[in-house]
Amino acid sequence: MMRRLWPLAFITFKEGTRNKAFYGISLLAIVLMGASFFISGLVMRDVGKVAVDMAVSTVSFAGLLVVFFVGIDLMAKDLDKRTIYMVLARPISRQQYIIGKFVGISLLVVVTVFLLSVFAAISISTIKWANPDYFPRFSWGPVFLAEAFIALSLVLLSALSFLFASVSSTSFITMVLTILSYIIGQSLSSVKAIVESPQDITVSPVTVALVRAAYYIFPNLSLFDIKAQAAHSLAIPSAFIFWTVMYGLIYIVLVITFAALLFTKKEFP
Amino acid sequence: MLRVRSSALLLAAIFVLHIFLLQRAATESKMLPAAPESGIVLPTPVLTITSLEFKGFVSDLLFIKALILKGSTYERKEEPCMKPEEWQWFNSILIASTDLDPYFIDPYLLANAHMTWEAGMVRETNELLEKGTQYRDWDWSLPFFAGFNSFFFLHDNAKAAELLATAAQRPGPSEQLLSLAARLAYTEKKTENAVMFLEAILAKTEDKQLRKQYTTRINALQARLLLERGVSSYKKKFGRYPAVLQDIIKAGIMPEIPRDPYGGKFSMGPQGQVASTSDHLLMIGQHSGKPMSR
Repeated sequence: MMRRLWPLAFITFKEGTRNKAFYGISLLAIVLMGASFFISGLVMRDVGKVAVDMAVSTVSFAGLLVVFFVGIDLMAKDLDKRTIYMVLARPISRQQYIIGKFVGISLLVVVTVFLLSVFAAISISTIKWANPDYFPRFSWGPVFLAEAFIALSLVLLSALSFLFASVSSTSFITMVLTILSYIIGQSLSSVKAIVESPQDITVSPVTVALVRAAYYIFPNLSLFDIKAQAAHSLAIPSAFIFWTVMYGLIYIVLVITFAALLFTKKEFP
Repeated sequence: MLRVRSSALLLAAIFVLHIFLLQRAATESKMLPAAPESGIVLPTPVLTITSLEFKGFVSDLLFIKALILKGSTYERKEEPCMKPEEWQWFNSILIASTDLDPYFIDPYLLANAHMTWEAGMVRETNELLEKGTQYRDWDWSLPFFAGFNSFFFLHDNAKAAELLATAAQRPGPSEQLLSLAARLAYTEKKTENAVMFLEAILAKTEDKQLRKQYTTRINALQARLLLERGVSSYKKKFGRYPAVLQDIIKAGIMPEIPRDPYGGKFSMGPQGQVASTSDHLLMIGQHSGKPMSR
């Protein structure tokens, strides 16, 4: 199985790195990290916090752009350009095709986050070197963990884009649905908290039920956001890490299995 | 060749024209009726939802916005240079910034630096500082500033002592600060607070000499506390204060008058307040006369 998947995964990864958008996104990330020198210079005391905020947020933002513009493009190109017939003419099933593609894009996302994290580390350590007294509670562990969580949430988002790609007809719709899912996934737990214990407003029971239903359908991406913990070196219990990682992995398996099932039924143009 | 040159010339001319047009349009746009600068900050739930996973970053930007708002008023000629509604806006921005990232210390420091002395918004400042105290539970400086504001501006010694006691339980502050808090607690007649507070300090003190001093002071305060409780149970029982402290013993409430470790003699005022001839020692916080800080 893996012997058949690997060439497909590798070629997907390689194709992704050749995408011009990939270079544009990397350039943007480097510019944003450079900007963090100026922004952290405006701060009186918590220079370390702002430096970590800027660097880790940039990793997340650039990673999102890679998922939205490179990942979805890689998936859609095979369908748009009809090259999928050439792949499926080989002894490879549709499920294997989906899984192989997904492994390739996940690899691309993880490698991207790793490279961005290297730039983030350079940015943080340069600011730290210039302002050694303003990093009183800084440690690298939570920063790296936050970046690993970003990678996991981006892989989860890619898995969702696969699900949308296997039902929608164009890559544009896939992209819109993925961006919407991202926004919903990031804000849903806050919305749920607000509608469940509203202050100064009345919420109809239907809304509460809808939000609760959505909470169990959409991924809770805010769980993977531990930038505040990284920025202030707050404690991150290992039970939280374990259960969140397990949740992420199971959600990915669920979505990809569903996508593979839908993809086998899909009629190609 | 000529074609290339004329194209370049045309391009340069259009570029110059563009700069001119931009300046004109920008000047004219200033004549448009505009809303006053002091404005709106989105409510926290809206900000929390719309800033997605970039709450820390948005918090930084809001802080910088407040900083720029304050900085931009330095150029003004009129006095006071910031209007009340601008101070309200400044406060709202800092509240929003600390709602998004309650661990970020700079908004608290900015509020404390300006909103107390310049705007007289001490209660608002202390609300912010107490929020910071709650989240930054390793940081002694925020409860210390809030304690100072309570003491200096609000004349609320009990609250000040409580805040300083919180500061004292956190790593970092000097012993001088700790004894200050104890003195505040004592002048408010909150002997019990003072005892608890000093016990907290004792638990963190390693220096043998200091431990001895603290133990003596705790003993003195405990003796006083015992007497205060005796006086109040006497009052409960007989409906009046005892004439002298010995009355409590005669009434069978206490077996004896406790000894003052500073060697003073306990007495009682007309309102039932317990005092000692060694009070000056307790108030200064020292009986050796040396400064407390190492």
